[in-house]
Amino acid sequence: MAELTLDHITKTFDDGGDEIVAVDDVSIDIADGEFLVLVGPSGCGKSTTLRTIAGLESITDGEIRLGGDVINDKRPQDRNTAMVFQSYALYPHMTVRGNMAFGLEESTQLSDDEIDDRVTEAAEMMGIADLLDRKPGELSGGQQQRVALGRAIVRNPEAFLMDEPLANLDAKLRAQMRTELQRIQEDLGVTTIYVTHDQTEAMTMGDRIAILDDGELQQVGTPLECYHEPANLFVAGFIGEPSMNTFEARVDGATLVTDDFEYDLSQRHRDAIGAREDVVFGIRPEDVEVGADTADGHTYAVTVDVVEPKGDENYVHMTFDDDHETPDTFTATIGGLRQVDAGDSVVVRFPPEAIHVFDAGSGEAVLNRSLDTAEGVDLVL
Amino acid sequence: MRSRILRVLRPGEQADAESEQQVRTDGGTSADRPQRGAADSDARADGGVTATADQPSRARRWLDSEFVKSLPFWLPATLLVGLFVYGAIGWNFVISLTDWTGLRQPTYDSFDFEMYEVFFRNVGKGGLLSGPHTQEYWALRNTFVLLVVFTVAALVVGLLLAILVDRDIRYENTFRTIYLLPMSLSFVVTAIFWAWMYNPDTGMINETLRLVGLGSLTQQWISDPQFKLFAVMFALVWQFSGYAMVVYLAGLRAIPTDQYEAAKVDGASLVKMYWRVIIPQLRASTTSAAVVLMVFALKAFDFLFVLFGTRPGPSADILAMMMYRESFGITNWAYGSAIAMVLFVLALGVIAPYLYVQFKRGEL
Amino acid sequence: MADTTDSRLGLNRIGLYAALALLVAFYLSPLESAIMTAFKTQTGFFETSPFVPPTPSTFTFDAWGQAFDRLEQGLVNSLLFTIPATVLSATLGSLVAYGLTNTKWRGQAFVLVLLVAGIFIPYQSVLVPLSRFWSIVDVASLFAWFEPVADRSGLVALAVTHTAYGIPITTLLFRAHYQSLDDSMLEAARLDGASIAKIYARIILPLSIPMFAVALIYQFTNIWNDLLFALVLVQNPANDVVTMSLTSLQGSMVGQYNLQMAGAFITALPTLLVYIFFGEQFAEGVAGGGA
Repeated sequence: MAELTLDHITKTFDDGGDEIVAVDDVSIDIADGEFLVLVGPSGCGKSTTLRTIAGLESITDGEIRLGGDVINDKRPQDRNTAMVFQSYALYPHMTVRGNMAFGLEESTQLSDDEIDDRVTEAAEMMGIADLLDRKPGELSGGQQQRVALGRAIVRNPEAFLMDEPLANLDAKLRAQMRTELQRIQEDLGVTTIYVTHDQTEAMTMGDRIAILDDGELQQVGTPLECYHEPANLFVAGFIGEPSMNTFEARVDGATLVTDDFEYDLSQRHRDAIGAREDVVFGIRPEDVEVGADTADGHTYAVTVDVVEPKGDENYVHMTFDDDHETPDTFTATIGGLRQVDAGDSVVVRFPPEAIHVFDAGSGEAVLNRSLDTAEGVDLVL
Repeated sequence: MRSRILRVLRPGEQADAESEQQVRTDGGTSADRPQRGAADSDARADGGVTATADQPSRARRWLDSEFVKSLPFWLPATLLVGLFVYGAIGWNFVISLTDWTGLRQPTYDSFDFEMYEVFFRNVGKGGLLSGPHTQEYWALRNTFVLLVVFTVAALVVGLLLAILVDRDIRYENTFRTIYLLPMSLSFVVTAIFWAWMYNPDTGMINETLRLVGLGSLTQQWISDPQFKLFAVMFALVWQFSGYAMVVYLAGLRAIPTDQYEAAKVDGASLVKMYWRVIIPQLRASTTSAAVVLMVFALKAFDFLFVLFGTRPGPSADILAMMMYRESFGITNWAYGSAIAMVLFVLALGVIAPYLYVQFKRGEL
Repeated sequence: MADTTDSRLGLNRIGLYAALALLVAFYLSPLESAIMTAFKTQTGFFETSPFVPPTPSTFTFDAWGQAFDRLEQGLVNSLLFTIPATVLSATLGSLVAYGLTNTKWRGQAFVLVLLVAGIFIPYQSVLVPLSRFWSIVDVASLFAWFEPVADRSGLVALAVTHTAYGIPITTLLFRAHYQSLDDSMLEAARLDGASIAKIYARIILPLSIPMFAVALIYQFTNIWNDLLFALVLVQNPANDVVTMSLTSLQGSMVGQYNLQMAGAFITALPTLLVYIFFGEQFAEGVAGGGA
């Protein structure tokens, strides 16, 4: 059990003379026993980051420490980490027992009996004790997944490294394994880094999530922090489904002017924006009030373009300029029982306490939604 | 944007002033970067010292690298191949530049391209169109004929076999096995079989022709200069069309069944479907099969040797045979080596573009 | 309507099978006529059609016995050099393919291209140097202290030469297989603490068994069937391999077709048996190796 520190790690690849920066100066502290999810779009460097921790890739610069020891120059097998792969990476010619014992045989001095005890124990924990003498080819995807986890557990590592381990499972099984994985991690209390491209998985599983884009760390925080207080436009767009609505805007005194609408700014807004002139206005779909009855500087008449019913809620895509062939739309979510149809004219309101403002140049958040309003979120930070 | 951390240098390694200096230009969007003061960096320096002890030396690192660790696996065999293939070709080239003949040892003192000059002069000696032609001319001409005609014929027959076998037939494996069977036989064996097949009096070919009332077509297949090379190519097609079939079958199997069905829905006849939809997609199979068949054609020595000995006569002589005859028959070593180089360059002309394209596509 | 389509289809199918059967006749006819001839007496094969089976009066086993006597030594010699060359080239090919596929370092592609090009080299372009090489590296005198080897110097030369020329093709066969293995499985093995050699022994090798069958069968057939190297490298007639013995049998028994055919079958028998029992693997070798 140990805390894991990524200290300014950088990884560059040489691609025929061109230097490609896969991981760019990333620093994260992961507490002992924490479940940290590394999330980002494909190619963002999250898998590379994980692989540098495992020792499958060397780092170009920086330091990786596990339990206080610098491990980045150690051989992979000496790092005391265990990795779970997306493809499970089981040895097809060995039984489940053989798969789980392999690492102990190759990297420890344990006797055969001790190895057998540990394999049995881990197998029981994963509920695969009755499969020990089967080969991977005879197992279902879910069972193979359990073997892959069991193989990591049996090593008794200081950190688990998981590379999209649930991506090959069907949706139902994936949801089930998600909770099970969290339970096991909690029981074992092993520091875990979990890589995924799925922001839902990141939100639901992680103690904290770290969002990467283009090799650079965008934000580290609890799921709710990242959701409600995104550090920048990228995080705001990546976390949350459907994505936050954004409009490019110009600051004109106490008013935000976009191509589609003007928005009255409060003193709190203006303080945060300061002297900036070009900003991006953002609002989450669930914060858009549809069918507002008050008229203030935050209400607008719009036309419904498309309605996507989801059952429990509807995604309503709306537009300010319905004359256009392919109009720019923004999205609101409303209750599943509310009836709105394409072509309807509705009034929407962007509540002042729920808006986000980002610097148009750097993309950094200058103003996030306020969390201490009456209808605010009860959030323990 | 990029910040560098302090790296403590190992004693003995040249000091790099810049890396002693800790440059911190933290910024950007990272939200979780701990602030560090001078005291912090001292602590890190201490931590770095312990880390230094664990850090492998450069030599150790090199020994640990995958390159070095993989050497025992590939190097010995690669050296063996390098010696026997590339060493030998280089040596052959050197010999071709000497005047070495007879039973004495070669001397490597004067080098020139005389042998190549002789070869190409002889090729054109009788005039390229009119005769009389030299053995060089015939060997080169027959090599090209063999290369082109045999390859095309084997491809066509192989494609036909593949299409027939691919028609969802019963006992597919048996049919495939039979068509490929000749390829498992030695040239020596197949040459003896075909010598008997072509026997003018009691051979299978003439017997069959007589049996079906085409007795007028019977020929002295392998002694009549008119038919010699054709007879050889026919037998070679028999032996190697199964290979083309196997390659084409793999290509056909890679085409999704949807396309057959789509073509059917579009109303294409069977012939049209193959001609316009399927065969154009077999280009890769055709290329790789053609390259290999050409290489077989260049190697057809064994077959001719058993049929005709080292003197097949102008109508069936090929470079591979002539090279053997010059070198091991009449000990014109240097001249034989020069012919071997011509053959090598021919082979290179076939395979180099192929390998280059394969390499570029990352298919090696 | 449906009926006519069905009968058209039926006719098509009949045509298809007729074509397939005709082709079978074509591909097997040289073997059929050869085997019939091999069981006939001299008058038998001169006076009857080659594809007609022998009658009791023209039937004889004599040709087989005589041919076998002529080829016996050649068969033994061929086995003596073919088996080691086959096993060695397959084993080395597997090792090379592993070293060039499943480890990461620069320059692999270059080594690989050089190796693969070796598949396509016409043997003629190395014959003279090879014969020089093996007369300089004189196995007979090197092993003068060990007669069983010294007496078979030509076979040693053949075994080594065929091993060297077999490595490119076996490398390509194994490489195709190793490329298809899951990379993360090998990474998992590394994380499990297995060294490169251990990964080969415990993961790669057990997973290579089907490919070994392919490589061994393909190489056995290729090496057994070769004549050219043997012509150049074997000096001592006691070392003649079976393809050489068959060639000289054919040269000296002119017109004795029954003897020639029996000899051809005896020579082909090992490869024929291998082909009949492992045809699938042979086809895979043919398709995968490309040569």
